[in-house]
Amino acid sequence: MVAIRVRVNGAHYEHDVEPRLLLAHYLRDYIGLRSVRIGCDTTNCGACTVLLDGKAVKSCTVFAFMADNAEVVTLEGISEGGLHPLQRALAEEHGLQCGYCTSGMVMTLYYYLNKARRVPSEDEVRRAIEGNLCRCTGYVGVVRAALKAAREMYG
Amino acid sequence: MRLVGRPIPRVEDARILRGRATYLDDIEPPGTLHAGFVRSPYPHARVLRVDMSDALSDPRVIAGYTSLPGPPMAPGGKVRFQGEAVAMLVAVDRYALADALERVVVDYEPLPHVVDPAKALEEGAPLLHEENGSNVAHTARYGSPDAAGAAAPRVLEGELRVQRVVPAAMEPRGVVAAYDGHTLTVWSSTQVPYDVRKEVAGALGLPLSRVRAVQPDVGGAFGSKLIVYPEEVWVAAAAYLLGRPVKWVATRSEDFRATTHGRDMGLAFRVGFDGSGRVRSLWGRITCDVGAYHWGEGLSDIAARMLTGPYDIREAGVEVVDVYTNKTPLGAYRGAGRPEATFFVERIMDMVADELGLDPVEVRRANLVRGLPYTNPFGMTYDTGDYTGTLEAALSRLGYYELLRWADEEWARGRLVGVGLSIYVEVTTFGFETAIVRAEPDGSFTVVTGTTPHGQGVATGIAQIVADELEVPLESVRVVWGDTALVQDGIGTMGSRSITAGGSAALLAARRLREGLKAAAEQLLGSPVQYSGGRFWGPNGEAQIGDVVRAIYRGRASGPLEAYEVYNARSTYPFGVHVAVVEVDPETGHVRPVLYRSYDDAGEIVNPLLAEGQIHGGVLQGVGQALYEEAVYDGEGNLITANLALYGVPTFAEAPRYEVRFAERPHRSEHPTGTKGVGEIGAIAATPAVVRAVEHAVRRVRPGARATSTPLTPEKVWMMLRP
Repeated sequence: MVAIRVRVNGAHYEHDVEPRLLLAHYLRDYIGLRSVRIGCDTTNCGACTVLLDGKAVKSCTVFAFMADNAEVVTLEGISEGGLHPLQRALAEEHGLQCGYCTSGMVMTLYYYLNKARRVPSEDEVRRAIEGNLCRCTGYVGVVRAALKAAREMYG
Repeated sequence: MRLVGRPIPRVEDARILRGRATYLDDIEPPGTLHAGFVRSPYPHARVLRVDMSDALSDPRVIAGYTSLPGPPMAPGGKVRFQGEAVAMLVAVDRYALADALERVVVDYEPLPHVVDPAKALEEGAPLLHEENGSNVAHTARYGSPDAAGAAAPRVLEGELRVQRVVPAAMEPRGVVAAYDGHTLTVWSSTQVPYDVRKEVAGALGLPLSRVRAVQPDVGGAFGSKLIVYPEEVWVAAAAYLLGRPVKWVATRSEDFRATTHGRDMGLAFRVGFDGSGRVRSLWGRITCDVGAYHWGEGLSDIAARMLTGPYDIREAGVEVVDVYTNKTPLGAYRGAGRPEATFFVERIMDMVADELGLDPVEVRRANLVRGLPYTNPFGMTYDTGDYTGTLEAALSRLGYYELLRWADEEWARGRLVGVGLSIYVEVTTFGFETAIVRAEPDGSFTVVTGTTPHGQGVATGIAQIVADELEVPLESVRVVWGDTALVQDGIGTMGSRSITAGGSAALLAARRLREGLKAAAEQLLGSPVQYSGGRFWGPNGEAQIGDVVRAIYRGRASGPLEAYEVYNARSTYPFGVHVAVVEVDPETGHVRPVLYRSYDDAGEIVNPLLAEGQIHGGVLQGVGQALYEEAVYDGEGNLITANLALYGVPTFAEAPRYEVRFAERPHRSEHPTGTKGVGEIGAIAATPAVVRAVEHAVRRVRPGARATSTPLTPEKVWMMLRP
């Protein structure tokens, strides 16, 4: 077992975990953060994307012990003070259907738009989100929503 | 102002966007045990011995089973596809479970296997089900038996093939079950909770009243969750026998092998036509590779019965052969037979046009059904529409000929782009559906729908329909579903039927409740009353609808508090025209979808925002079918595209730009909603349009080139581009 201290969505947690425990399972099973979705076992779908020390990572490919002394932000963490412009735009532009990929989409775009600090082009948005799979929307609403949120944030 | 017809954002979204949706894996009653399966690495083998003793010596392992109530594991002592379950373990957590599964020893005697349906039909082929005497799972004949030999000025013969694909909903399958000594509750990532309940109750000999099935939020299905799988019954049985909650969630790699695949049909055809492109006869033989078990009954039959598409071909006949092979069983996948039929007939129309050197649109126009209703040679009655008129409108709205001219200009500049058009008619909706509209004591309304939405936005659509009927704000209507404690029977969300069958049931229930409340208001007010906008009024005064409801709840007036409606919905037929534009790299054969335009007459559109979303998603699945996706088995019977790293689900990078339009004056169905369904249109129309677009581009370089099978991988396109 490994003792870890992790700050998740602003709160401190200490746990003894198996070295092989995945961060995705840690966040879901130990902290109860259900927005972290698991959609594959090969790091392709991106449904489990969270911010680890400010960077978007797929939490199914990070061991929990690797988050020791780190800060993790999940979808719950950015939804506390009302919806982020990105979340509002996703609803307005019908950027989600079954919703299973949505947490990961939001976290990847949240990371990307905060880093971009400007309104990106459509192609830039598409490239930024290439690591997140969606089987329902054809990605149309997601791209529209990202651009709309970017205009609200930086336009 | 009516809500139906307006692009209203979904009522479903708020909880999903905050991460509060409850998918199957989010359900974990206290003390939940985790189940997992030992699965066959062989495509075909006799199971000689399963030794779980080493695994069971681990105190974290609670139980191991090689049989449970429900379907047999390894029926007849054999496994018939790679990934078929041999044993089930139950452990205290998922990591202990993973360790234990490694410690189960299974002795297999590998048997000769067959993954090619043509070989499976040969004399002496390995038999999957010996008692069946052959690998033929099902045969049927439709239409005229004379079509095969029909005389015509010109005849073309050939073979077409639609590959096997993996539905790959983003949420893998899973099930949780818990037994409290009285009620067995089964949560499942399913489209059919009513069937899950019946199968589980039947397997355990329990009355339906003691089994509750719940469909939580489901992360997509596309038809792959519309049968009751063995795992659902086994996990429920284990929870019942152990008296503890048991959960199984498939890993993605497990899901790729244990959840049904889609499509996988070939067509041998003979088409007779004249010099103007009028088709005189069509004969076809559909061979469908159903995999190891015949779980997807009726898929090839639907493909056969829609084979003439929107064309009036009088002399037509189809034979169907479903064949067992050592692959994952085939099942429904978005469109379920109509994408295959549409691919086949649209390819044939393009080939006839190319043979004659005619415009593919002209050939289609010459053959389009005129005058509806129309019964096709296989007994399918297309209900309403104006196919020729809609085609002309579509050609202008979609700018088809302008795109062709643009493609010519691009080619003159050295850029290889292609434009493809497809026309479809498809069949949606069947069977009964249930709705309950209930007045709550505060005057709001709860609608329980028998449909089982899993991403489509059906709850928003039905809320719009019911709010209009009751003349109350959208916020006053809440739609719930997916729990047999709320509604005991229904069919579910599949076959583009939810708004048409489920929405009509809800509309009629709301209408009946409103009439009942009106009678109660007349008692209360002591006079005939009128109703509008949530208010009853008459000569003696007025009452808000909520006042009337409260009066009934408190016994001051008598009347209904809810209406239960069962609506039987006959099939209805959307029609439309789609155009795809692709760019082909002549050096590599790589195809990039550039633009996609659609024009659909799908009856009334309840919510254009959500209807467009259905087209977008379906189209990208059709694009994936045309270009990227394939469930590939090697000669040893291994599924070698066994996870999302190896299987090409389209990403953002592959998605085209979309321009989606619906007919300005749609042809209503006979149903109260007037709708026809939009869920599967994209997946039906896109593949033939994209394939023609690729062929259109390639034919500039190789004029005789023909695309006869999907997917059009870069390798295949590269070969088409060369002599």
